[in-house]
Amino acid sequence: MQRQDPLQSPFVPFSPNPSLQQGTPTATAPLKHSLTASQSSNLRYSSSRKSIYDRHLNRTQRSELSKSSFAFLFGEMVQYAQKRVSGIQDLEKKSATPSFVPTHVSPAGPRHLKSLSEAIHSLTPRRLNLHGYTIGQRLLELLLWRDGRSAKRETRILGILQFITTTLYRSIFNKPADALEKSRDNEDEYMLIDNDPMVSSYISIPKEMSQLNCAAFVAGIIEAVLDGCLFPSRVTAHSVPTEQFPGKTVFLIKFDESVLEREAVL
Amino acid sequence: MSFYFAIVGTKDNPLYEAEFGTSKQGGDGVARFREEQRPMNQFIVHSSLDIIEEVQWASSTMYMKCVDRFNNLFVSCFLTAGNIKFLLLHDTKADDAIRQFFTDVYELYAKTLMNPFYEIDMKVTSIVFDSRVRGAAKKYL
Amino acid sequence: MSANKAARIGEEVWKTRIDKVNAELVTLTYGSIVAQLCKDMEGDYLEVNKQLEKMGYNIGLRLIEDFLAKTNMGKCANFRETAETISKIGFKVFLNITPTVTNWTTDGKQFSLIFEENPLADFVELPDDGRAQNELWYSNLLCGVLRGSLEMVQMQVDAHFVNDVLRGNEVTEMRVTLVRIIDDELPPGED
Repeated sequence: MQRQDPLQSPFVPFSPNPSLQQGTPTATAPLKHSLTASQSSNLRYSSSRKSIYDRHLNRTQRSELSKSSFAFLFGEMVQYAQKRVSGIQDLEKKSATPSFVPTHVSPAGPRHLKSLSEAIHSLTPRRLNLHGYTIGQRLLELLLWRDGRSAKRETRILGILQFITTTLYRSIFNKPADALEKSRDNEDEYMLIDNDPMVSSYISIPKEMSQLNCAAFVAGIIEAVLDGCLFPSRVTAHSVPTEQFPGKTVFLIKFDESVLEREAVL
Repeated sequence: MSFYFAIVGTKDNPLYEAEFGTSKQGGDGVARFREEQRPMNQFIVHSSLDIIEEVQWASSTMYMKCVDRFNNLFVSCFLTAGNIKFLLLHDTKADDAIRQFFTDVYELYAKTLMNPFYEIDMKVTSIVFDSRVRGAAKKYL
Repeated sequence: MSANKAARIGEEVWKTRIDKVNAELVTLTYGSIVAQLCKDMEGDYLEVNKQLEKMGYNIGLRLIEDFLAKTNMGKCANFRETAETISKIGFKVFLNITPTVTNWTTDGKQFSLIFEENPLADFVELPDDGRAQNELWYSNLLCGVLRGSLEMVQMQVDAHFVNDVLRGNEVTEMRVTLVRIIDDELPPGED
């Protein structure tokens, strides 16, 4: 039986599985009540640990680690992303399309870029964005699950933005975002303001792009939550330093037209 | 009483499916769908997705109870934060029991998702997941 | 310095001198890194192990400074003291865990760290592809961290995992060996 390849993201259209008609178990899940069918797992579990399904989801809810651990890890994430980008640049001179740019971020096409460093500057944040995105997807379900019976799905723009500004932000950074503003010029734009992004303030690598990368990471988290809740949008990060807050960052959230249309009807 | 359960991803793709029979009132837990009924189960459940897409904006609860009917069958739905749909096809109403079942499955799903090697919209193939879902079915349905 | 003293120092520093962050954020970030590596290396888990070790090494080279600044530790008298410092203070102030030091060889040059808790591996289950559990050392970054940080204090060590609960073993165990004391100045940042 073919096992799920975790490196692929299969998109299988929902269609009647012919093997159902004979009542035989499918490759995806047993459709018989017993597990004697072709299910086979190679996974070994230690007797103490058993499986992830035995572990309580709230066990590490209040756990803490040192901020510098996160900073070091983040720094390596950036370094690695930069290495990957500069490696791929050579490949991409030969082939036209970028191979790793996530589909939810519109690719700029590195064939238009003039230099390797330009490629690194623009493409590294995208990889950071993708890391943030996968984290955001998980945090969304985890946080809502933890709300238990009172968990609710956000259905309005203001609701989801408030969720991000308060609940999400607090869970990651221990403080809510500093402000949420609606653009005066554009109906579809909102701004989330963080005066002192925890991620940026703690990165001690003296690389000029570090702030952009940190912001791209957080933007990815935000975008994942918005996408997950069906508020498709583009989230971009902008550095707007002030004297008081040199690290001040604005996350610009531009909602898709479909979101506004839906909001108008509700 | 027989139940058909499916987890559907963000692209309307099936991530997991299972059949249960009731364990209540002397039931043996074995699903008893007629053979010709089986492919219909998927269709019924799939067609309810359109209704869910509309109805989900009218309410902010995750447990949406019964969203669709087909002859003598009901489709109940639970929508997660990330828009993953738990769909249960059943022939008897049992709101509370079904809600408890969905709640247990939600916890299992969240645990699955927290694994960095699992990506959204991947099929769930873990045997342990499957046996826990069936355990929940046995407990509540 | 005794194990107890080390434990007290570790606890003290953790409580008073460490800025803290949500552990789950770190867990998820590390998970994202490992998963991405597995994709980039196209399932070559041995290569992933290497990359993780390298990343850890780079971290270790800088982490030691942070550690010394926060703890004001002086030089360890011997390798045994080093082991206690690593487990009760080092891991404590960075990961809030205190792995157990055990399985010493008679020459005092090799020991094991047994991890009861491993925040990097929370929520994780290795892919059921028949290979990951035999080839991937999920937390291999930690081995690199040890190697890099100890190199900066004149110790060349080898650190590698020999057991991991993610692989179905009963414990998560790292074996640390003192290869040699570095008397001459070695340039840091080996590639």
